[in-house]
Amino acid sequence: MSKGRHEPADILSLVAEKANSLPLPERRAFLLRGLALAGAAAAGPVLAAVDPDDALPPNIPPWTRSLGRGVVTVPYGVPSEFEANVIRRTVPWLTANNISSISFTPLPELKGIITPNGLVFERYHAGVPDIDPDQHRLMIHGLVERPLVLTMNDLMRFPSVSVIRFIECPANGGMEWRGAQMEALQFTHGMLSCCEWTGVPLSVLLEEVGLKKGAAWVLAEGADGAAMTRSIPLEKALDDTLVVYAQNGEALRPEQGYPVRLLNPGWEGNTSVKWLRRLEIGDQPWYQREETSKYTDLMPDGRARKFSFTQETNSVITFPCPEKPLTQRGRYEIEGLAWSGRGRIRSVDISLDGGVNWRRAELKGLVLPKALTRFSFMWDWDGSPALLQSRAIDETGYVQPTLTQLRAVRGVESIYHKNSIHTWRLAETGEVTNVQID
Amino acid sequence: MSRSTSRGFLPAQICAGVLGVLCVGFAPLTLAADSTAVPEGPSIGPDVAAVEISLAFRPKPDPQRVGYYGFGETATPAMIAGWDIDVRPDGRGLPPGSGSVADGEGLYEEKCAACHGTFGEGEGRWPMIAGGFDTLTESRPEKTVGSYWPYASTLWDYVHRAMPFYEPQSLADDEVYAIVAYVLYLNDLVEDDFVLTRANLATIEMPNRDGFFVDPRPDVKNVACMKDCKDPKEIQITGDSTELGVTPVEHFKGEAEAAGATAAAVDPNLGQNVYQQACATCHKGGLAGAPIVGDQAQWRSRVAQGMGVLADNAINGYQGSVGYMPPKGGQVQLTDDEVTAAVRYMIENSSD
Repeated sequence: MSKGRHEPADILSLVAEKANSLPLPERRAFLLRGLALAGAAAAGPVLAAVDPDDALPPNIPPWTRSLGRGVVTVPYGVPSEFEANVIRRTVPWLTANNISSISFTPLPELKGIITPNGLVFERYHAGVPDIDPDQHRLMIHGLVERPLVLTMNDLMRFPSVSVIRFIECPANGGMEWRGAQMEALQFTHGMLSCCEWTGVPLSVLLEEVGLKKGAAWVLAEGADGAAMTRSIPLEKALDDTLVVYAQNGEALRPEQGYPVRLLNPGWEGNTSVKWLRRLEIGDQPWYQREETSKYTDLMPDGRARKFSFTQETNSVITFPCPEKPLTQRGRYEIEGLAWSGRGRIRSVDISLDGGVNWRRAELKGLVLPKALTRFSFMWDWDGSPALLQSRAIDETGYVQPTLTQLRAVRGVESIYHKNSIHTWRLAETGEVTNVQID
Repeated sequence: MSRSTSRGFLPAQICAGVLGVLCVGFAPLTLAADSTAVPEGPSIGPDVAAVEISLAFRPKPDPQRVGYYGFGETATPAMIAGWDIDVRPDGRGLPPGSGSVADGEGLYEEKCAACHGTFGEGEGRWPMIAGGFDTLTESRPEKTVGSYWPYASTLWDYVHRAMPFYEPQSLADDEVYAIVAYVLYLNDLVEDDFVLTRANLATIEMPNRDGFFVDPRPDVKNVACMKDCKDPKEIQITGDSTELGVTPVEHFKGEAEAAGATAAAVDPNLGQNVYQQACATCHKGGLAGAPIVGDQAQWRSRVAQGMGVLADNAINGYQGSVGYMPPKGGQVQLTDDEVTAAVRYMIENSSD
């Protein structure tokens, strides 16, 4: 720190030193003057580079010898500037432009099972609309007794529920059908997020409007420039589908459908239509573009699966990973995430040798249906190369398959629903690479 | 099931609590509304299949619950008519109108060809929409309107609701009919004198109409073997992502390995790449008054203003007499250097 100029910290330490020598009645006024002086000196950006040696013991770091920002300096809090690396990213060549495109959640950096709102992966078909909630309406019509138009205030008057559920794009991992090509965990598995969602069960709204005889499907439509649509079978709509307006305790982010979206837990993210403006009840599916041209799974015989809604059981090791290599030999906690669109995760197994032998990992924290579930495995790494894998089993008994097994049935052209066991190659250097093995 | 929900319970909680698993006990993989669907694939046991959602489920509504809360206002027929734009395979939802292949040709050239190509072949990464017949069993199949889409109604619905990409829901109904007729023509599905109407759209039989079947998953059965599950000597690494080097890695790889990032900064193709991603939507076909790349007459007077002016207009936006250039073409994530490189590319390809 330069000696010629008074930094706020210097001023404050001088003030404190002087104050201690004064009689008590004078001390208070003196201190207030000193604080004002220090505040003026701190008016500019204070994120000056700190010489590491100044901060480490036995030295007292500058932030301990100074004052920080006051309340509402940042009225809506943001992450530390030292976390600037924790952001959504995209792979530009995946799509023709960034308006109809996708970004990836930084899974290597996340803790627990909740994805912060600003890091939830993005998928837009026509960009993010800026919708004034007062000007937004949700229309429910079709085979109903009482077609309704609801304002956001109307919607929020219904009794609400909150659930923690993942949303995953069915194309998550889809770039890997032919072979390994994504060099980072963020890109191999990052079309995946998990939030607490708050809203109204769709079943409540459908009872309110009264379903007519013959009702069998619901069409959900967005208010964005794609007016995106999906047909939802009524059994799902009456089971656990929600009309949600909040995530992780606050209003939906514009990227996630503000002011209101559908949430189909455990299903293709695409069915959880954002910026929801309309629900139509009908007696058969509509065969919209997003359930024919897209989001159908082409099989080797040239025919394609339709209504492939469920996101099947999946898992991935999030540490170590290409972004988070091992730095030295010794004791490590291998961590990862498992999830199933059919319910809870029952167990997760870890292999260190490419699937020859497996050992049971521990499930950490909350184990909720259709939610991300964190697993943990303590390991003493002796510096040998390894092939790390995780294998999840859900409460229905479904065991996460190998890529070889999936390819044997589905070939490599189905784009969606690649939920196979993932392999990280750990080198002697500690470096981690995305590989595929047979 | 739905009976309980209006009394303040979430269905999933009831199901999980009472039955231990999701309470979906209906026979899976049936589809009453679509008798052509044929379930396929091996079953892997009733415990797994039991949680699949049935497409044949039909509720028994309870009229007592209707209007229990009484919130909101009635959706009037006029309100519904304005928003109910979906079209089904049976033609339900189509508005009156018609359009010919001949009318569609001009509209397609003006509004669609910049992205989808003159013959529907697709420009850059924009979707190919014509051809691709008999490729669905091949490596890298071409899934076009003609080769893949099962219903013509989907095309009408989608063009009407979401196209053109940069100006959705701007087409008149007759224009939609005409463009759809032309796209069907590009796919050799109708003759050049064809007129598409509300009455005949549902009668068009698409080649791949029988090409879809209801998802039969779970379709693969793995077992949770724990010990000596395979011969370690037989493990082969069949793919290594680093051999391709096609994903961004500079945010976590060290300086030495971020050579790719340095290369990108002096990438001789930077201008072309940015143009393809950000500019071609308008500047390839002349949308919104944009000067068309390659049309020297359109560019001559603009180039005369100098590179600095053009780059400045492209970066900061510009309202001209024939059109509007949004700042960076709306792609605000681009750096000024990237935009400038794209402008240079466009000028180089539009000058003598």
